[in-house]
Amino acid sequence: MKKAGFLILIIFFNVSVYSQTRNADTYLLSNVANTFGFGAISVLDPYLSPLQYNGIGLKYDNDNLRFLDTEKLNLSRQSKFTITAAEALNPAFTSLMMLVGANYQYGMYYHFQPISDLKVLAGGSCDVDFAVKYLPRNTNNPVNMDMSTNLNISAMAFYKLKLLKRDVQLQLSLQSPLLGCMFVPQTGASYYELFLLGNLTDAFHFSSLHNKRGFQSRLLLHVPFKRSNWHVGFDFNMLKYSANGAVYKKDDFGLVVGTTFDMISFSGRKNLPPSNFKSITE
Amino acid sequence: MKKILRTHILLFLLFALLLPSCMNEPVMPPNTNEGNFEALWKIIDTRYCYLDYKNINWDSIHDVYKTRLATDTTEFEFFDLLGDMLAELKDGHVNLSSNFDRSRYWNWYTDYPSNFSGSLISSSRYLGKDYRVAGGFMYQKIANDSIGYIYYGSFSDGFSDTNMWYIMNYFIDCKGLIIDVRDNGGGSLESAEALASYFFKNDTVTGYIRHKIGDGHSDFSSPQEIVTKANKKIQWQRPLIVLSNRLSYSATNDFINRIKASPNALVIGDQTGGGGGLPFSSELPNGWSIRFSASPMFDRDMQHTEWGIQPDIIDSLKVADVERGYDTIIEKAIKIINQSN
Repeated sequence: MKKAGFLILIIFFNVSVYSQTRNADTYLLSNVANTFGFGAISVLDPYLSPLQYNGIGLKYDNDNLRFLDTEKLNLSRQSKFTITAAEALNPAFTSLMMLVGANYQYGMYYHFQPISDLKVLAGGSCDVDFAVKYLPRNTNNPVNMDMSTNLNISAMAFYKLKLLKRDVQLQLSLQSPLLGCMFVPQTGASYYELFLLGNLTDAFHFSSLHNKRGFQSRLLLHVPFKRSNWHVGFDFNMLKYSANGAVYKKDDFGLVVGTTFDMISFSGRKNLPPSNFKSITE
Repeated sequence: MKKILRTHILLFLLFALLLPSCMNEPVMPPNTNEGNFEALWKIIDTRYCYLDYKNINWDSIHDVYKTRLATDTTEFEFFDLLGDMLAELKDGHVNLSSNFDRSRYWNWYTDYPSNFSGSLISSSRYLGKDYRVAGGFMYQKIANDSIGYIYYGSFSDGFSDTNMWYIMNYFIDCKGLIIDVRDNGGGSLESAEALASYFFKNDTVTGYIRHKIGDGHSDFSSPQEIVTKANKKIQWQRPLIVLSNRLSYSATNDFINRIKASPNALVIGDQTGGGGGLPFSSELPNGWSIRFSASPMFDRDMQHTEWGIQPDIIDSLKVADVERGYDTIIEKAIKIINQSN
């Protein structure tokens, strides 16, 4: 019960209680993963077109995980930045839609270890999402923006196993939006009216499971090599939301590959490196 | 513990996977002639903004054209059928575009006298050969250098405050200014507002706009004020005469609507062509693009501007004047400016 209460607290309030990040001999490492992805994307945006566009997309994300405190190694925070770019065609291949987007997410996780080789991180995150979809052949509605902020429920699982005599790790990440706010204009309202005349009526909406449902998943296999750790896997994301009587959709599925490393950063007056660490700025 | 955890993870996965499938997406008709016909009819039925205003019985039009729909028709014949159906809307902002053709309705100006001659304004009496060009403007001093004349052919051709500053300085000794937007088929609404802004002393409500908020023919948002802001740096305080004709359309129609509220401006010529609906685009299952009027715009008295705007003084080109190399409407404007000084 206590644990459940604590989980709810970190999911919904993201209370950040930072303590000294470094005591005498213990350092908190940040686990940084840089991941590139390539895959298929499918977009339905009734503001731009009633047809579903399908195409290919590229993705890059930088994921930074770190414990919050050297004394409590069961609570971590995540900072993740993602950029995407995609091109998609209508079913008749007569029109091209371009999409670029960025997302920043900050999350907190409570760590469980139900069995010796399995570690489960459960928690929540909040994210800010921004994307621009561009359909050049449209008049007065060639662009639609996705702007939203979400409070998500998130979970990660790490499972250690032996594969071809090598110690590898499987990672499964899952996330789903719970609450938030999103920008969805009326399908008949022009951006001229919205932003130049300032009529934003019915453009911003509260979102929850009643009108926004999504699912982000990533399955990774982490493989250590001689001097680097690489990961490879799949991304599978589904998002559907509705507002002003229209249903919007964005799904993508792709292969991802990247590297992972642990790092420590020193900056500021109070967070100086130990004397045996040498910096070129000294 | 393991079992409980496994069950919870499976439940979460199932829940998350099923969630996105719970919202119903609209079903698009199939990519057949009938499917494309129905898709086009529905787009207009739910999103075109003038069905009630123009008193169009769109259901009846559906039935009439559906009977002409044959399964063995060629692509060109099918395109023409849809183009004919769209022509019932009598709207220059409605076009069906494919890779081989674009349907259009041009009667809003072809049914009327043009009241404009490009060769006349290019004569030495008006622009001549040594006119100046700044941004999208061609300008020249006319009537013995006493009046400034600007021809602006498209609101898609941009301009800046600096362009206008130079032009107004060039005309600093002139008694008045003529802006000729005849045969200007429109372009950017922002440019229309920007050009009008030089002729207002104060921010002024010059019109309203609404947009569709539902599928019903009269499901519109509340009117949103359109304010023409006075330019803070450049203001023309002397008489202004704007020339219009039936080919002054869309953004030009909007410019005329704004300028009619300017304290020093008069509009002379023919009624504008209209085009008061801000056009949007959509598409059919076969990939053809459809443009249609989506947001109706109104003048400051909440009257539609779709059928055009009456000038303050109606005038037309007279054959006798044209034969002498005179543009009747420009001459009228010169006369009015001279009389006002």
